[in-house]
Amino acid sequence: MTTKACSATGTAGAAVDLRQPGYVGAIASISSEDVPALFEGAKFYSPAVGDANKSSLTSWLMGLLDRNGPVSLRRPEAMAPDTPCISLCVIGSGSAMADLPPSGNEFSMAVRQIERISGTRFGAIYPLAAATVSALAPVVAASQLGVPLIDADGMGRTFALIHHTAMYLAGVSLTPLVAQGPTGESVLLQTPAGPRADRLLRGNVDALGGWAALAAYSTTVGVLRRAALPGTMSRLINVGRVLLQYTDPDQLVIRLAAIIGCRRIGRGRIVELEHLSRPTDWTIPAHPSSLVLQEIDGLGRQFRIELRSEIVAVFADGELIAAAPDLLCLFDASRGVLATLDSLEPGDLVDVLATPADAVWYSPEGMAMVGLGSHGIPLPHPRRR
Amino acid sequence: MPHRASGPTLAGVSLQVGLSRAVVLRGDDVVAIRSVASTSSFIAPTALDGSAVPAGMDDVEQLIRRIVGVAGNSLGAVTLDISQILLDALLHGSNELPRIAVIRIVPVAATDPALARSPAALVERLIEHRFTVSGGHDLLGHELCPLDGERLREVTAQLAAAGARDIAIVGAGSQASPLHERAVANEVQRSVPQARISVASDFGGQGLVAREATATLDCALGPLTDRLLLRWESTLARIAPGVPLRVARGDGGHSTSSRVRALPVVALGAADAMQVAGAAHLAHNTDCRVLLPRRGGQVAGDVRNGLTAIRSGELAGFGVELVVPTAVLTPDRGDADHGLGRFTDVPVILADRDFDELACVGAAVTQPTSWLDEFAFIESADELNRVLEEVQERANAIVIANGAAPGSARMAEVSTVAVPYSPPGTIRIRVRVVGEADTDPRRLEVFDRMAR
Repeated sequence: MTTKACSATGTAGAAVDLRQPGYVGAIASISSEDVPALFEGAKFYSPAVGDANKSSLTSWLMGLLDRNGPVSLRRPEAMAPDTPCISLCVIGSGSAMADLPPSGNEFSMAVRQIERISGTRFGAIYPLAAATVSALAPVVAASQLGVPLIDADGMGRTFALIHHTAMYLAGVSLTPLVAQGPTGESVLLQTPAGPRADRLLRGNVDALGGWAALAAYSTTVGVLRRAALPGTMSRLINVGRVLLQYTDPDQLVIRLAAIIGCRRIGRGRIVELEHLSRPTDWTIPAHPSSLVLQEIDGLGRQFRIELRSEIVAVFADGELIAAAPDLLCLFDASRGVLATLDSLEPGDLVDVLATPADAVWYSPEGMAMVGLGSHGIPLPHPRRR
Repeated sequence: MPHRASGPTLAGVSLQVGLSRAVVLRGDDVVAIRSVASTSSFIAPTALDGSAVPAGMDDVEQLIRRIVGVAGNSLGAVTLDISQILLDALLHGSNELPRIAVIRIVPVAATDPALARSPAALVERLIEHRFTVSGGHDLLGHELCPLDGERLREVTAQLAAAGARDIAIVGAGSQASPLHERAVANEVQRSVPQARISVASDFGGQGLVAREATATLDCALGPLTDRLLLRWESTLARIAPGVPLRVARGDGGHSTSSRVRALPVVALGAADAMQVAGAAHLAHNTDCRVLLPRRGGQVAGDVRNGLTAIRSGELAGFGVELVVPTAVLTPDRGDADHGLGRFTDVPVILADRDFDELACVGAAVTQPTSWLDEFAFIESADELNRVLEEVQERANAIVIANGAAPGSARMAEVSTVAVPYSPPGTIRIRVRVVGEADTDPRRLEVFDRMAR
């Protein structure tokens, strides 16, 4: 759990230990002590699902890290470029996972199956999406398989579909992929077209119990240097540390602004939850719904927040003020915790927070893939206007 | 807040290890009563039949006589908060609680021991035997694999051989389809006729581990709660015939005594909710924040529309999520005059009265409640309305079984959210229903018999 590991020599010549957990910089390894911060940071980068399975997942991962030792977290530049690696995530719903917990070997089995198919022994794991339970899964697998975890991922948050990644934009093949379910069954998929892979996989994931361990995007570390988003696991843990330390919403935003550019859009009370508020694209998980907030200070605006599996847009008195691919989340100002989308209730008092996504998502290709238009809202992004 | 001024005289009792408290509430007048210090620690072997007597029992008659002495003939009801007795039993007196056998119904048994057990040591030390039977459903109730009948028969034979009596059953997806849980419960009851069984689908809610912990605690607390409440029921019936006995719930409401004997875990955490409700009631405020100074630091609880804000989640110190909702208390260093605490836009009340008395006041003024937390699938707004109506009807039926007068149930809170990363149309529905306490003794007797 060492951050900014270094030492300095004081004027008297004595070594001063500066190895205190910090909020910036790369992290060298993940130990059981880091798991609470990992969980909180993962929730910030995808505030979709709450704590229904938190104690079980975190105690499992902490037990693994205590037994097997910390997982080494390596930047791609610090590894041999020809090291074979593969990404992991949880595909499907965190709620389904809470109701049907992992048996324990789903993630390592998914990796082993790709190894058997491809005849490759993977020397490292990386997260497909460093957020929600998908940020914990690669740490589990790295610990079980005894390989390092790469400090990079494909999304820097979560997006709805498995080809919404920096790797896909960089031309890395999504398949062969394996989805290993909690039912003990698995699905192997091979298709040259990324969008088809997601389409083919969703029905299978439902049949596997609503979630599965997904291994995909096998490549080498050298390719990953240009094809993945670097430093995202370190960033996530740093954010998690801030969230654990600061529960006062004002202090929290100041700290998050300093390290990730987070800003508060407004504070309001939830007055309405609406469903099927826009036409449903049945190939994308979760139907469109909306949240109406009445701002309790400032301009007294009415916020309309458009939801899919994540928050995709925020309107203030009808004007679009923030939108995907910005990372948009809600912080419960009364309780001092993140407000997850599966547990919102009318009457909750929340801050609306916006954080810039990784730069690749504001490119024309990125915006076409995950911008507002992909959610059926054909408006220009506020950052572009 | 309900039951002010013109209502009947109400009594609230906070049962404690050692010294129980009570208040009699007549309009705005609050008369506090203390029991004589109990001689028992947690369990005292003082019952006439030689069986163990839980704390809070040995002073029952004396406490009820004092309540009746203050309230006189106008006593309308007595509401007990037993949560601190239950909590103490779990935290400190677990040797007196029965050991539980847990049967988990999932498609595949856990390969890592950490995933096979509860993450909470408090829960795990109650469990003597664990079994896994193949089966289970998904979030929407679709069967994932058939129930393994052969394995089930092996398990029930082992239960019978081990002399296990207290059994908790939890299945994947049982909040949507309880079929496998019921099949297992039937087989267990057939093989072990004297078994006391808790099934997780009785509680609904999200998460197999949370439901398992809830069913396990429910099973473990059954005998203690039964003895405690039976004693109170019989003593109250003898001293104050016709006065109903109610029991405070963790969700800020109350149930009839017989309902809590059937599902004792719903009483856990009631003290927190009652303290918040009691302070708000005394402050004549239905929308406020209550600050409760505690030894570990001040905490705050919110009151909305006269009800303590609740959520399902982890009860402080348990180490695992539960599916029965309890008051949301968060650390807050502010004060009522100067702020400095968490942000809020409602009045802030500092609870400066004795906490146990506040719990008594909160218990006395509670209303019958019910809570449902479910998943459903919708394809249109009409279907959403139909699903909501159906859930509300079931919640209404439950609140009447919990002691509400027919026709008095109202939806206090409703929340429907799309479940992220699930197939479009998957929603999570939570409803909280409250009613007016039923005062018809004939109806109450019918529901008591049904609860047994």
